[in-house]
Amino acid sequence: MSWPRPRLQSLIFEVTQRCNHACLHCYNVWQGEDSPHPPYPRGELDTSQTLALIAKALDEVDCHHVTLTGGEPLLRRDLPELLTFLKTRQVQTTVISNGRLLDEPTVVKLLECGAGLFELPLLSHQRATHDQLSGAPGAWDAVLAGMANLRLHRGQFAVAFVATRLNIEHLYPTLRLASAFGARAVMFNRFNPGGRGRQNLDLLLPNPEQVRQALQTANAAAAELRLPIACSIPIQPCLVDTRPYTNLGFGYCAAGGERAYYTLDPLGNLRPCNHSDLILGSLLEERFAELTAPARMQAFTQAIPAYCAGCERRTQCQGGCKAAAQVCYGALDAEEPFLRLRPKN
Amino acid sequence: MSTSRRDFMKVFGAAVASLLVMRCQAIAPTPTCYVPMPPTSLPTIPPGSARERLRLCWRRFGELAQATVDGSNTQEGDAYQNPLGQQMITEHRAALDEMVVNGEISNQVAGLVHEAYEAAVFHVWRSNVMITCYEPVMVDYAPSSADVLVKQAELLNEIAGQGSIDAETLAKAQAALEHDMAFYQLSDEDVAALYDKILAEAQAQGQAIPSFEALEMEVSPEAQEAAQFIITLLTGK
Repeated sequence: MSWPRPRLQSLIFEVTQRCNHACLHCYNVWQGEDSPHPPYPRGELDTSQTLALIAKALDEVDCHHVTLTGGEPLLRRDLPELLTFLKTRQVQTTVISNGRLLDEPTVVKLLECGAGLFELPLLSHQRATHDQLSGAPGAWDAVLAGMANLRLHRGQFAVAFVATRLNIEHLYPTLRLASAFGARAVMFNRFNPGGRGRQNLDLLLPNPEQVRQALQTANAAAAELRLPIACSIPIQPCLVDTRPYTNLGFGYCAAGGERAYYTLDPLGNLRPCNHSDLILGSLLEERFAELTAPARMQAFTQAIPAYCAGCERRTQCQGGCKAAAQVCYGALDAEEPFLRLRPKN
Repeated sequence: MSTSRRDFMKVFGAAVASLLVMRCQAIAPTPTCYVPMPPTSLPTIPPGSARERLRLCWRRFGELAQATVDGSNTQEGDAYQNPLGQQMITEHRAALDEMVVNGEISNQVAGLVHEAYEAAVFHVWRSNVMITCYEPVMVDYAPSSADVLVKQAELLNEIAGQGSIDAETLAKAQAALEHDMAFYQLSDEDVAALYDKILAEAQAQGQAIPSFEALEMEVSPEAQEAAQFIITLLTGK
């Protein structure tokens, strides 16, 4: 049987589950102690097996961009080899890192190997808050040093600001700091519970009014600083009307389509996205097109909370992040944590 | 450099689409005081011949761009599924199939023309659709503009004055910013000399940029015929 070669805008590859930080908001599906599901498979393939896995993925999908993430991807000593391999396959790369290990020699090496964009967290303009959210003293100093090293060597980076109750009011000075260090863009991601973040849900989840005020701040800062800002974790229109914030980009779940961000874990398991713990199957055993066939994805793509049934925006909004609903409450069609903050009639 | 027939057609299709929709962004027509607005809707009666219908498919990229933007802005419909694009691809294939039956084009060349069209539809749609919930940020790799750099320098000086950031990190950040700003102080001759220097360095490392003739692009006769077919179709010959 001949299988189609699906076209994808980007593929996410979690190169390792190891991490040197312990972020309170971490959504990695293998983190956390109160998962409603069985424990997630742990481990990673060796270098040759990993290269073979990436090659198989690229043979089976029409995709020219791969995001390398983790865990902390720089903990893999063979990261330069993985980047070099992707470069030879003419694949652009993004590296999502906490920046802890981005010293100058490492930056030079990774850029030489073809690393494209780096996505680095900047959770506050204040050392204490960034370090608290990162669960790691010294994180703030390290990520700023990493940004400076990247810019010094003509690297590009975008900043990820995870908006929680602890830092959401720090947004404006944090955006100024990001701009001063040369960030080319900012991702304003409202905290999306999963992994270890589930345990800190009440501590971290901002309410809709806090998010609305932050969007107002971000909208003005985007114009003032000429800084592209994308709000890519879904913000449900029934909680916050996003239309006034014309300088910001807003996104919703694209699972199942060409703009889906299928996620490959370090053992070769494929999932609908990096927030979801739903394993579609192993790419080592089946073809990409088999794993992503509509029949397999149906449960994910069609799930929608009952509350959203009559909403005219349900096709696009889909109730927010169904992966968060699943990892927090065990059902794809449950109301995810942020949606549960909706006004109750 | 070897280029497969399929890759060549995809790049060709995306390039044609880009030309047709002015850098792939939907631009609304501008009325003047005496020139009426052009009609915005498509003819309700489809053109007669398969060739005319095929040409119409290639003229719909502006409509696709606008529909994609509208779908994104109104937050209605299933914009990620690109329904109009899928419809256009179906109509394009049907018109091509009819031309194959009529003997106007070979099946092989028709397949390559369709490959280019599919790539063009995807390119226009992707350039206009809204971001997803996890979007690798689209970064402009060109240097930051001079006024942005000035703003960054002001901010960095202000932050440096607060004394909270490690001195070595600050020094690197300032050095990097000065590098970027220095670019704008170069004259045209300086920039040309810089490019010459980069080319010479690449040459010395065995990475010289090859001349166009040296690229040895292996474009098959079928792919050339398909590309010529598209050009002829769109220029109305």
